[in-house]
Formats: sequence, structure tokens, C-alpha cells
Amino acid sequence: MSDERTDDAMRPPQPGGRDAREDVELSVIVPLYNEEANVLPLWEAIRSALGPTGVRYEVLLVDDGSSDATFAAAASLPAAHPEVRVVKLRRNYGQTAAMAAGIEHARGRVLVTMDGDLQNDPLDIPRFLATMQEGYDIVVGWRHDRKDKLWTRKVPSRIANALIGKVTGVPIRDNGCSLKAYRSDVIKRIPLYSEMHRFIPAMASLAGPRLAEIKVRHHARRHGSSKYGLSRVYRVLLDLLAVKTIIGFASRPAGWFALLALPALLISTASLGASLYRLLALEQPFSTPIAGIGVLFGALAFFLLMIGMIGELVYKTGDSREDRMSMLTAQRLTGLGVPEAPAAATFDELDPGGRSDEQASGGARVGADSRSARADETPSLAARAALIDEAKEGL
Amino acid sequence: MRRVELSVVIPVGKRVDDIESLHHDYRRGLDRCGLTYEMIYVLDGDRDEGRRLAELRADGEPIEIVKLGKSFGEATALMVGFANADGARLMTLPAYFQVDSNEFPKLVAAAADADLVVAHRWPRRSGRFEALRRDGFHALLRAITRQSFHDLGCSVRIMSRRVAKEITIYGDQHRLLPVLAAQQGFAVREVEVAQSPQDEFRGRYRLREYVHRLLDLFTVFFLTRFTKKPLRFFGMIGSATFAVGALFVGVLIVQRMLFEMPLADRPALLLSCLLLVLGVQLFALGLLGELIIFTHAKDLKEYKVADVVEARARRREQEDEAGQASRAAGSAEYPDYPRATSG
Repeated sequence: MSDERTDDAMRPPQPGGRDAREDVELSVIVPLYNEEANVLPLWEAIRSALGPTGVRYEVLLVDDGSSDATFAAAASLPAAHPEVRVVKLRRNYGQTAAMAAGIEHARGRVLVTMDGDLQNDPLDIPRFLATMQEGYDIVVGWRHDRKDKLWTRKVPSRIANALIGKVTGVPIRDNGCSLKAYRSDVIKRIPLYSEMHRFIPAMASLAGPRLAEIKVRHHARRHGSSKYGLSRVYRVLLDLLAVKTIIGFASRPAGWFALLALPALLISTASLGASLYRLLALEQPFSTPIAGIGVLFGALAFFLLMIGMIGELVYKTGDSREDRMSMLTAQRLTGLGVPEAPAAATFDELDPGGRSDEQASGGARVGADSRSARADETPSLAARAALIDEAKEGL
Repeated sequence: MRRVELSVVIPVGKRVDDIESLHHDYRRGLDRCGLTYEMIYVLDGDRDEGRRLAELRADGEPIEIVKLGKSFGEATALMVGFANADGARLMTLPAYFQVDSNEFPKLVAAAADADLVVAHRWPRRSGRFEALRRDGFHALLRAITRQSFHDLGCSVRIMSRRVAKEITIYGDQHRLLPVLAAQQGFAVREVEVAQSPQDEFRGRYRLREYVHRLLDLFTVFFLTRFTKKPLRFFGMIGSATFAVGALFVGVLIVQRMLFEMPLADRPALLLSCLLLVLGVQLFALGLLGELIIFTHAKDLKEYKVADVVEARARRREQEDEAGQASRAAGSAEYPDYPRATSG
């Protein structure tokens, strides 16, 4: 971080830095785009959901360049309610950028993202917190009883989720549900851009996080109108392929492009073989198009291999590298008299004591119990394994 | 040192009118604006005008001269000028007559409530062919970026420091500065001003110029729409090419199977395979682009925050504060363009 510029008054607080006195446990991040009627009800709902739990929280309302009075409505809140902070973007950048802005400015140790349209219920947030305390890095919501139109929303979403799970290897039942909780250190290091918000868990899987899925409530839209339709299918497919490239092969691009080169190599071999066979065995005249195709696809295979080499170069010189994310989730499983890795210690400090009585999900308590005991008593391998098994079951 | 209100940056490149009369003309115009200003001439490489300007300075004219080691292009000269400027606002002027200097106050006034003001010379004296060429360029630009500009060739602009700080241009991209600024969410205004009576372009546009302008358009198209999603761009073209190729191959195979048309001797087969190959190549380039974006995502923050409202204090990005901080920290504002050393 030595290259930080000093001129930016807007720079978000560094975790654990100067703003440590705030000591926020939970940041609720809500991207808003033209949701003027929803801002106040949303804040009331969050407040009534989180107030009783006693968690020190903040609410980050991110105005994504709304053209209506969303910003005015949101900006009126912080004066009376210091928990609210409003981030206004210069123009409309889309949901991913709004979320990224919220994540960047958030101070909490756990970040919860949710939609601004009140279709998610803030009453679910305490359950997310409780699940996070069990030792997970990411908890995603699952709208098991979704209140949306069947054919334009639910069916495409079902198909998309199956496809995303299959391709990315992160089988989440409901990628489109915005209600998700992340451990701050992990999510702040995951690059989010373009329209990645659908793929955040998949992108985060680069760091190897422990992931859980819990059921959430879902309400029909009360104010405003939905901003999405069916037209995004093609773009989602291309984005999915991009995500696959990144999470599957970012660390070995040569392998990825070699895989793509394989069919070309096969076609090339087949047609070159066929034309040679014709010439030598059947003693027929040489066929230029067939041999030409062989040469063409051979050249393609070679081209792809070379692109793979460039890919290696790109990865080697880049900053966001998969191998560097390993420290985000690394945990020391054997106590050597040395304190636990800081990444793991985060949740001990977050323990709200007896406040989370109403924990809905009771899975994977082993890890949480043994962890919250004392720093020198790190969880045993068996306990870790149980935790990981639980996590897999959760999916 | 008291901060000047306006820094005027004048890149001196290939096209230069008589620098002395130009300078005095600009001085007259700037004096009318009623604000404190400084003038910075940036010599893009070795230029004879350097000596003339040094003489002007010796005569007591308030000018700064920065000389680049070689010719880097007008956009880079501008960036170097900005890095050496102290003003709260920045103005760019060409080293040749374009706008009647009596119109400067109008531009300064317009800059009060905009991040970037571009002059639009109107009414315009020019040949019919040139007008056609210009209209064509701007219509294309409008189609591509959905932004309406009329005179991007005019180098008279006033902008806030923030614009200059956030927009990085290089080579020939100075014409695209307003487009890129608007794309970043800055308020960009076009102001109609009178053309300078001495504004005439004596050369003629060679084919190379047209090619460059078209490439500019293409660059802007790519930069404004697909910077963070290369696969959307290459994938779209690639899959279209691939689909045409696949369709072709399909037709040929059907003809071979059902109508016994020989497959081997048809050049059409080669063409369709060529399309398939091209499609895959484009796709692969898109994937490579995604890798580049991902591994360098740290430098490519997509959004700009306009305002943060908090309980304790309402913090707004103050360009003054930013400017002061930057002076304190040398040229922290432009880490890529260090301030010129005097000597």
C-alpha cells in the first residue's frame, strides 16, 4: 500500500486503521437505483430488525446515480441516524459497481448485501450473522419461496442457477438473491467489475472460502418496478464464460487455451490424415481444400497455444492473483503455541455473546465452539473436517 | 504563493501560427475575464518557438515554458502542462488561432457550473467538403457514444482539476477528452463562440488523417463501452463469425449428403472454415482480455464516488482541498507526469 495517493479526501477507511474507534461489526450494503419510495421503509425495516440484536451496525446506502429523489431521501437519514451512511455515485454504473462501492466504504467485519426493493427481508440478517459466527466466510441466501413471475423470472433463474453451478463448480441454488453475507477481509480483496454481482460467490471461490446457504424470506415488490428482464441471457452467458476463464484457469492460462486448441488440433490431424490417405493409399489426386482445412485448423491450434503463453505473461505480471488470495482463508489447524492466524481470529471478536439466542440454523456448532474458547486452543482437525462437511451439506 | 484561478496550457506542436501575435491576442482575451491566471507553453519537442517565447518572458510576459525531450503528441503535452499547472481551473488553448479571444469571458462564465466546457466555433467559415467531413465524424461519434458534440477539433476548453486528474489521454486523444469526460460522469457543456478571423487551416487532410480519426472512433467505442468486459465485445463478433461459418459448413455438408455434390473441391468449404477459425480466434482474444482485466482489476476501479453523506460531517470532494494536498505532496496528483524540473 505504499503507492497510496494522499490527495483523495474520499478514500474509504482502512479496516483497523484510523476509523477503528467506530468498531462496527456489521455493514449492511444496499445499492439503490431509483428507489425513492423504498428508502425510508427499507431503513425502518433494517432498524427494527437489527436494533433488538444489539449488534453495532451501519447501513450503507449506495445511490447508483438515480434520476429520482432517492439520494435526497437517503441523505436526509444520517443526520438523525448516525448508523446510516450514504454513498452517491457520479452516474449510473450498474449494480455490481454500486455494490463494489459499498464494499469499499464499509467498515464492518461482516458485510451483508441486499436489494433496495424490499423484496429481501432484513429480519433474515441476524440469521446470516449467526451463521457467519459458525465459521463461514460467505453465507448466501436462498429464496426458496420466491414471489416473482414464474415464466419471466423464476424459470430462467432456475436454469441459470443450474448452469452457473455446473460451470463454476460453486453449486448455489440462488445466485440472483442479493441477500448475502461476506467476511470483510475476503470480499474486499475479490475484484468486482462489469456485471459480476451474480457471480460474487463464484469469484470469491478463488480464495477458497467456507460457504453456507440459508433459506430467506422473499416478498413481492411493493414500490417501484423491476429493473431486469429476460434480455440479459446472452450477456450472462458470455459473463459466465469469462468467470469460468478467471476462476478455472486464471492461474494456468496456457492449460485453458491448450484445452481450446484441442478440437482444432483434432480437426487438423483428421483432415491432413484424410488427404494424405487419399493421395498415398487411394492414389487419387491431391485435394487442396481438405488439406487446406487441415493447415488452417493446425494454425488455429498453434495460435491458441501462443495466446496461452501471453496469458501466462499476463497472469505473472498482474496484481489480483489467485495464489495471493490463499492467505485470506488460510487457517492454522495445529496449535504450536503460536496465536491463530489473524484471518481466523476475526470471528472471535465478533461473538455477540448471548444476543443471538434466536439462531435459526444450528449446523456446524463444533467449529464455532472450539474457536471461541481461547486463541491457543485452535480447533482440531476433526472439528475442521466436520465443519467443512457441514458446509458441503449446506449446499 | 497565492493560488491562481486559471491555468492556461498551450501545447506547441506541428501547427503553429505566429506565436507573438497569438500570445498577445490570448492575453487580451484573458485579461477581460477578470481573474488571475498563468500561462504555460508546452513545447512538444524541439521547436523554434521556444526562443521566441523565452524572449517574450524576458520582456516581462507572465509565461512558463516547459519543453518536452521529444515530440510526444498534443495529448501528452497537455497532460504535462496540467501537471505543471497551479490553477484551480485549467484552460487549454491551441498554438494557432481558432476562437475569437473576446469570447473567453463567455467560456469562463459557462465553466462556473460545469466540469468541462468545450468551445464550439459557430457560425463557422469553412469549405463545403470540410463541413461534410466534420459533420460525418460527429454523426458517427454520436451513433457510437450517444453523445452529441459539434466541434471536437476545437482545442479551446476549460475544465476543473478533477477532470484533468481523472482522465488520462495520450498520443492523439486530446480531441476525445470531452467524450471521455462525459463518459466518466462529468458535466460537459458545449458553448458556441465566434470563430477567430484568422482561423484557417492551410494544409489539407491526407488519407492518414482520416484513418487516424476512424481509429479514434473505434478506440472510443471500445474504451467507453467494453473496457471491463472484453469478452462481451470479442465474444459477440467472434460468435457471429463462428455462427456464419458453421451455417456455411452445415449447408455444404447437407448438399454433400443429400445432393451428392462433391465437397472436397469446393473453395466455399475453405471460406467457411476460415470463418470458423476467425471466430475462435476472436473469442480467444476476448478470453485473454478478461484475464488482463481480472489480473489488473486493482487499477481499474470502475465507479466514481460523487459524495459521501455521514452523520459527523458532510464530505464533498473539494477540488481546492485536493489541489492543496497535491501541492504539499509535490505532484502526487499526476504521479505519471512529474513536474518539470527547472534548469
